[in-house]
Amino acid sequence: MWKVAIKGILAKKFRVVLTSVAIVLGVAFMAGTLVLSDTITRTFDTLAVQVNTGLSATVRAKSAFKAQGQDQRNWIDASLLDTVKQVKGVQAASLDVAGQAFIIGKDGKSITKTTGAPGLAFAWDPNATLRAVHLVAGGAPTQANDVVIDKHSADKGHYVVGDQVRISANATNGGSDLYRLTGIVKFGSVDSPLGATLTFFTQDTAQRVLTAPGKVTSIDVAASPGTDQTVLVSRLRAALAGQPGIEVISGQAAVKEQQDQFQTFLGFIKKFLLVFAIIALLVGSFVIYNTFSITIAQRTREMALLRAIGAARRQLLASVFLEALVTGIVASVIGLGGGVLLAAGLKALLGGLGFDIPAGGTVVTVGTILTAGLTGVVVTVAASLFPALRASRVPPIAAIRDVAIESTKLSRRRLIVGLVITALGVFSLLRGLFGGGGQTGLKIALGALLVFVGVAVLGPVFARPAARLIGAPLPRLKGVTGNLARENAMRNPKRTASTAAALMIGVGLVGFVTIFASSATASVNSAIDQSMKADYIVNVQGFNTTLPPRIETEIAAVPGVERAVGLRIGPIKIGGSVEPQVQATDLTIVDQLFDLQVKQGSLGKMGPTGLAIDKKVAKSRHWKIGSQVPMQFALTGRTTFTVEAIYSQPAFGSYVISLPAYQKNFATQADTSVFVKLKPGVDALAVRPSIEKVMKNYPQGDLQNRAEFKAAQAKQITQLLNLIYALLLMAIIIAVFGIGVTLALSIFERTREIGLLRAVGMSRSQVRSTVRWESVIIALFGTLLGLIIGIFFGWALVKALASEGLNVLSLPPGRLIVLVILGAIVGILAAWWPARRAAKLDILDAIATE
Amino acid sequence: MTATTQPVTPPTSTGTAARAVDASKVYGQGEAEVRALDHISVDFARGQYTAIMGPSGSGKSTLLHCLAGLDRLTSGQVVLGDLDITQLHEKELTRVRRDRLGFIFQTFNLIPTLTALENITLPMALAGRDPDQEWLERVIDIVGLRPRLKHRPSELSGGQQQRVAVARALASRPEIVFADEPTGNVDSKAGAEILSFMSQVVRDFGQTIVMVTHDPVAAGYAGRVVFLADGTIVDDLTAPTADSVLDRMRKLGG
Repeated sequence: MWKVAIKGILAKKFRVVLTSVAIVLGVAFMAGTLVLSDTITRTFDTLAVQVNTGLSATVRAKSAFKAQGQDQRNWIDASLLDTVKQVKGVQAASLDVAGQAFIIGKDGKSITKTTGAPGLAFAWDPNATLRAVHLVAGGAPTQANDVVIDKHSADKGHYVVGDQVRISANATNGGSDLYRLTGIVKFGSVDSPLGATLTFFTQDTAQRVLTAPGKVTSIDVAASPGTDQTVLVSRLRAALAGQPGIEVISGQAAVKEQQDQFQTFLGFIKKFLLVFAIIALLVGSFVIYNTFSITIAQRTREMALLRAIGAARRQLLASVFLEALVTGIVASVIGLGGGVLLAAGLKALLGGLGFDIPAGGTVVTVGTILTAGLTGVVVTVAASLFPALRASRVPPIAAIRDVAIESTKLSRRRLIVGLVITALGVFSLLRGLFGGGGQTGLKIALGALLVFVGVAVLGPVFARPAARLIGAPLPRLKGVTGNLARENAMRNPKRTASTAAALMIGVGLVGFVTIFASSATASVNSAIDQSMKADYIVNVQGFNTTLPPRIETEIAAVPGVERAVGLRIGPIKIGGSVEPQVQATDLTIVDQLFDLQVKQGSLGKMGPTGLAIDKKVAKSRHWKIGSQVPMQFALTGRTTFTVEAIYSQPAFGSYVISLPAYQKNFATQADTSVFVKLKPGVDALAVRPSIEKVMKNYPQGDLQNRAEFKAAQAKQITQLLNLIYALLLMAIIIAVFGIGVTLALSIFERTREIGLLRAVGMSRSQVRSTVRWESVIIALFGTLLGLIIGIFFGWALVKALASEGLNVLSLPPGRLIVLVILGAIVGILAAWWPARRAAKLDILDAIATE
Repeated sequence: MTATTQPVTPPTSTGTAARAVDASKVYGQGEAEVRALDHISVDFARGQYTAIMGPSGSGKSTLLHCLAGLDRLTSGQVVLGDLDITQLHEKELTRVRRDRLGFIFQTFNLIPTLTALENITLPMALAGRDPDQEWLERVIDIVGLRPRLKHRPSELSGGQQQRVAVARALASRPEIVFADEPTGNVDSKAGAEILSFMSQVVRDFGQTIVMVTHDPVAAGYAGRVVFLADGTIVDDLTAPTADSVLDRMRKLGG
């Protein structure tokens, strides 16, 4: 029996290869993601060790709380350095000051990326052992306006030692100033870490522009030779026992922490990519299922013959499984190889997002091989389960009787099972979106999967009428070839449906993200239209970046500008579990800049412990005017605020406090945006060049009017959308292969029919046209199913996020039509090869087949 | 195109409808060489019903396929009317088959997804041409298919399916109808019906038919029988009957 199975596989090498493609691509995607993340992780881990070789211990503030996964730590007093230095076993100790700054090129353009890797800024560490970088040119900064930058930035900006470099620091007392370049450094073995730029100031300047005078981020300690890290850490702890809120960790722990933080960050990207790899494999499993179903149907007689001569059902089952297993293993091995290549492609994709990944040896771990390889094999074998069971049920009599090759009967059971699965999926999806309770993501993913599977099960029920409808114009347009294409698409609804189902998943997700993005853009636009009253807004560029408040002063100094008011956002803790952010701005003037739609109370009259909250927070927390809200800040600890106003502008976050309150409770005073209000009667266009001139020194921010602000928000969404499109492409490509394989197998079945058509006068181009249009019908069927699901998903998510400000459901007709057209093109592409094959069939072979 | 511009073959019984000149077909090379046709020259007159007979491997099917432009000769010529099809390109050959020839095969004559009527008009549909409605109605009546026109092949009996095939072969008024064992797969009653339709159109409308068969009864309907053996013509019989054919076959076999 094994021999039969293996010979069967060898005889159908070609088909096995075709079937494999679907799995190869999915496994390659998964392996590529894993290889890439392993490679980046190893590179970073090595870097973290390299740059911290001299670090034995770090003294810093305890974490007040975590917000968005990040520890919120205060600065510590620089004066602690003396205490640290006196501890036995301390060879050297340095004040570490860390912040962010942008390096600006000679041409006025920012060298630091405004998206992606940040511009890191530090105080120059006089102790070489504790320094993460090493000089490759020039020397240390000594004067207040001296600076050292990384080699990558120096090369990019054509800066040499002695040049004047413009640096714009982000924090409270930061701003854009000219510095003298005294030295150029490398970070470990690389020019810059992951494309981030590095700036080093003198200790005093660093404290001034990055933290605050007398305040540092941490104190780094190097042990004397022979002093153990743990011993040193416990001595330091003892010496600093009198200092509240201070903690000491060993150098090893610091390295581990950095590695873990990076892992967490990378973990998001990895998970994000893996989701798409899993989608690709899911589509692949549909293709495998379909291919096995068809090939087994075509081998019914062979199976029956085996049964007739005494093969047990179990043996037939095993032989199909073996074929699936071999296919899965072959595909997974090829896929793993492809994954290594694909990792380079994904790396380029991340590079496009602004994260330069340093070159390093590609890391292929056993884990990657097992995870991706096993997934590929399991998916293949699982997808062949139903076809294998069907094969084993072939009655021996089928060998001698002319039975229908593939049952095209549609059972009531299918309808019921399909409906139940779909309903379960919808239920799970809606519960995930609206139901609250944990595991939201899981419920949504499971729901989406079940909806796809359910609709795929239901597919055959409406494949025939749908194909009839989609193909309706064909007979008129293309004559008999159109008619034949339509009839062929209708003749086997199961096959048409499961082929279309593979495409449905990709299109469904593309449709969903398109609708979601469009709705998000529309919602943001409407919120901006409703709320923004300022003439201009300086919008922060990049992730985690801030605008130094000096921008406010510099813009306010521009003639014609009445006010420039910053908006500040900081992490707070309310009660136990929540981690919201609080916003603050000059509330005396906010009405003129931004319409918060205040429902109760007055913003202008809010005191230093006054709190304004969003209506929906008021509702969910049962707070009203006068409610006492315990708020926790990293700097000042717990303070009770009083609700003094309630507003209903969802675009503005949930909690607002006054600027004085923010200044009192947050260490860093920096803006995320600055609203600019012009004097009455001033021409906005005339003032603009002067404001632009100020902003030229601040790449952190982009000056925008209302239309530009909207466009910038839309652009961010579009960028993410394009990335998702690119990642979903793999699922679509697999579906194209799926359609191609199905058509090729169908054509194999219809050899005689095609021969007859050719004999009575069908031209080769007419044969190709018939196959092509059948493919287009199948592809359009899949596209339309996908669109319906995509619209449903989009609607559900938009409704679920209505309270988050997503209040407009937008179905962009243009894009959806483009999607349908692309669906048709997918059909044409998928048919290309099978159509050629069909057209090349030898007429005599075809009609002589007996 | 409209019905008025379509090529109409006059029902005349003069001239040559198809001609093979020194036709050879060789398969394989060297030791494995097989001569399916060995320098055959034969004419088929217009308006004549010719049967080609011969034992298995005699080359009768190969001759038919080459005459019909389904296969190519190794050497020699095939001329249909006054058109030498030997050197025609694939595209032109397809057009010749579609516009000037009709086909009836032994089995699998019909496209399962098309109705009987759609199958009958298929060659004209492929040409993008409207059928000659009057002629079509007549053909349908001759083969007696009127009540079955909307049916798919799977809903027709074997005999009915073959009648649809005959109707298709005749519907476009081709210059020649090529039939390859048209009654090989149906019972004798249905076979007799099909053969009488074929001789009826030869008699009444001057249709040219070339038919390959191994059945003396079928050959008896023809006006002429050409006997093949080992790729050459070994006999030629005019106005045959089933008995005279059988007689001739016995002689050739012995």
